[in-house]
Amino acid sequence: MGHMVKQNSDKIAAEPWPENATLYQQLKGEQILLSDNAASLAVQAFLQMCNLPIKVVCRANAEYMSPSGKVPFIHVGNQVVSELGPIVQFVKAKGHSLSDGLDEVQKAEMKAYMELVNNMLLTAELYLQWCDEATVGEITHARYGSPYPWPLNHILAYQKQWEIKRKMKAIGWGKKTLDQVLEDVDQCCQALSQRLGTQPYFFNKQPTELDALVFGHLYTILTTQLTNDELSEKVKNYSNLLAFCRRIEQHYFEDRGKDRLS
Amino acid sequence: MLLGGPPRRSPRSGTSPKGPQSSTGHVHFGKSPQTWPRRTRPRSPGLAAPSGVRGSTQPKRRDFPRRAWLTALSRYGARLWMGRRPSLPEARGPAPRSAAASRASRSLASPETSPSPLPATTRGAVAGGGSVQGRAGAQKEVFPGQGAGKMAAPMELFCWSGGWGLPSVDLDSLAVLTYARFTGAPLKVHKISNPWRSPSGTLPALRTSHGEVISVPHKIITHLRKEKYNADYDLSARQGADTLAFMSLLEEKLLPVLVHTFWIDTKNYVEVTRKWYAEAMPFPLNFFLPGRMQRQYMERLQLLSGEHRPEDEEELEKELYREARECLTLLSQRLGTQKFFFGDAPASLDAFVFSYLALLLQAKLPNGKLQAHLRGLHNLCAYCTHILSLYFPWDGAEVPPPRHTPAGPETEEEPYGRRNQILSVLAGLAAMVGYALLSGIVSIQRATPARAPSTRALGMAEEDEEE
Repeated sequence: MGHMVKQNSDKIAAEPWPENATLYQQLKGEQILLSDNAASLAVQAFLQMCNLPIKVVCRANAEYMSPSGKVPFIHVGNQVVSELGPIVQFVKAKGHSLSDGLDEVQKAEMKAYMELVNNMLLTAELYLQWCDEATVGEITHARYGSPYPWPLNHILAYQKQWEIKRKMKAIGWGKKTLDQVLEDVDQCCQALSQRLGTQPYFFNKQPTELDALVFGHLYTILTTQLTNDELSEKVKNYSNLLAFCRRIEQHYFEDRGKDRLS
Repeated sequence: MLLGGPPRRSPRSGTSPKGPQSSTGHVHFGKSPQTWPRRTRPRSPGLAAPSGVRGSTQPKRRDFPRRAWLTALSRYGARLWMGRRPSLPEARGPAPRSAAASRASRSLASPETSPSPLPATTRGAVAGGGSVQGRAGAQKEVFPGQGAGKMAAPMELFCWSGGWGLPSVDLDSLAVLTYARFTGAPLKVHKISNPWRSPSGTLPALRTSHGEVISVPHKIITHLRKEKYNADYDLSARQGADTLAFMSLLEEKLLPVLVHTFWIDTKNYVEVTRKWYAEAMPFPLNFFLPGRMQRQYMERLQLLSGEHRPEDEEELEKELYREARECLTLLSQRLGTQKFFFGDAPASLDAFVFSYLALLLQAKLPNGKLQAHLRGLHNLCAYCTHILSLYFPWDGAEVPPPRHTPAGPETEEEPYGRRNQILSVLAGLAAMVGYALLSGIVSIQRATPARAPSTRALGMAEEDEEE
């Protein structure tokens, strides 16, 4: 869970959103990994949807700067908040919210689906990055350790891998094979696709944080080059999800004149 | 002896389980031997009759409650009868019977079930291993409508035994059990309290009809689905998606807190969880296994909630509980006024939600912050009690009496306690005094020292005179 700096919500609400709010993530070209990229994109999408300006800054040690150890984190005024959940709450305290128009049942569903994405998609991404030997060897190790000199790059990469593997074991994914993981991804995408149906966004007309999260993950999966394309193939099976990603990309990223997300 | 008398559902030994019971083949190895009303299984209660009767019994419409009546007859009669019992409900044919029987006998060896096939009890269907095997061998009839079907052995489920008013005290076991009840899957349920006795070493575990052992709860449910016991059959695609989403919500938000409440919170752990497990497990496991389980859960919780610095622990805890309360509120909102989450029929999501909620509600926790919040959500409480009464009606009676009146035994003990204290003090004093006297440390002077010298004087005078 994210770490929110202890502040009264009054204090938070008192200051308006500054112009120089920044979002920190790892280096885009060489360092950032699939799961972190997805998380970062989700936050960016969310802030775009709220119409809040944010500047993306890439730092090699973003992970260590973050108060909870997870990227991305935003630096707003004199506060630092990391991870989508706390950021949503923080933004809400400032008076901007995307989910106000939802009724209770819909809010419950939204939270549930966000957990679904975190539980299945994010975990699958982590599994693929850190537990699949091919990907680990070719992509992850190299990328994760790239800013550091030898031997630090190897040590940090192995340490992170060991940590992730322990976590996988704790939640019962340690024994899963890649095929099973891909099947889980498929199930998750199927659920999302069914929930989305033919609507433009998950809760019809207005996007919510759920849309931001789903977009972040799916777009990253679709556009990241991995050793094999199975993951993106699973997503490509669902045309409404593809259309959804396209729609958000066009609406919130291209229109604002930001650079195309690579 | 009436063959084919009254309808099948007559109550056995006074308990009349109502509601949609899981059908056949529920052989209950648990604490309440007379439980399951089997719906369709041919049970001819041998009726303590000579084998001739058995041969003629077309088992179909036997009512097994007959057994209770028979045991009342005489031990001898019951023994005879049990020796003759024709197949157990889940048998599909004679051959698999012995396989199941041997399994049954093996599982009977597990500690909590009465080790010897006492004829007196209506362990009936589950008779002792020996008699089962004998029975299997002696059995000749093939039950119509069964033999041609699957010849595979029935599925067996091993799970933690019940307590606190629930059929099982473990979250996963409870979820799987509930699902099985919802779908009426013919499972042979072994409620044990020794995880080393289960085929996979952990509980719950399902042994399928092909001998394969599955121990991940989700996989167990998937397997049941494959065997056509599917509670989600009627769900639309969207509802299926909702199921996945809500299960993820439960796992992410509610599970850590549940683990924390039962295993990490010191007061709860010592007074409730560890106590139950230590009492339930056989010697010598009860010394180290609960502690080991606690360590495992603690590690899992730490990994789940990510790394945190020690000073943040309290805040992390508060955050966890806050999210759990939010999750409960969300569930309550989603449930609304419906009977189950997706209408009028229970689905797999209901099984999981029920298992979480039931544990929180029923266990008497000293530190029950989440419990208090849950009690405030009335529709969830009603939902729980509804499922409990509908699908596990007799398990509520499993709670041993002492637990119902926690104050009772204590106050009873009070006067005895005081008396015992006084007695023990007196005994100690008496022992000390007695020892002192006997060993001469203390000697009691005779009360009349005056007489003594005079008698001696007299005696001396006499001696003098004699001299």
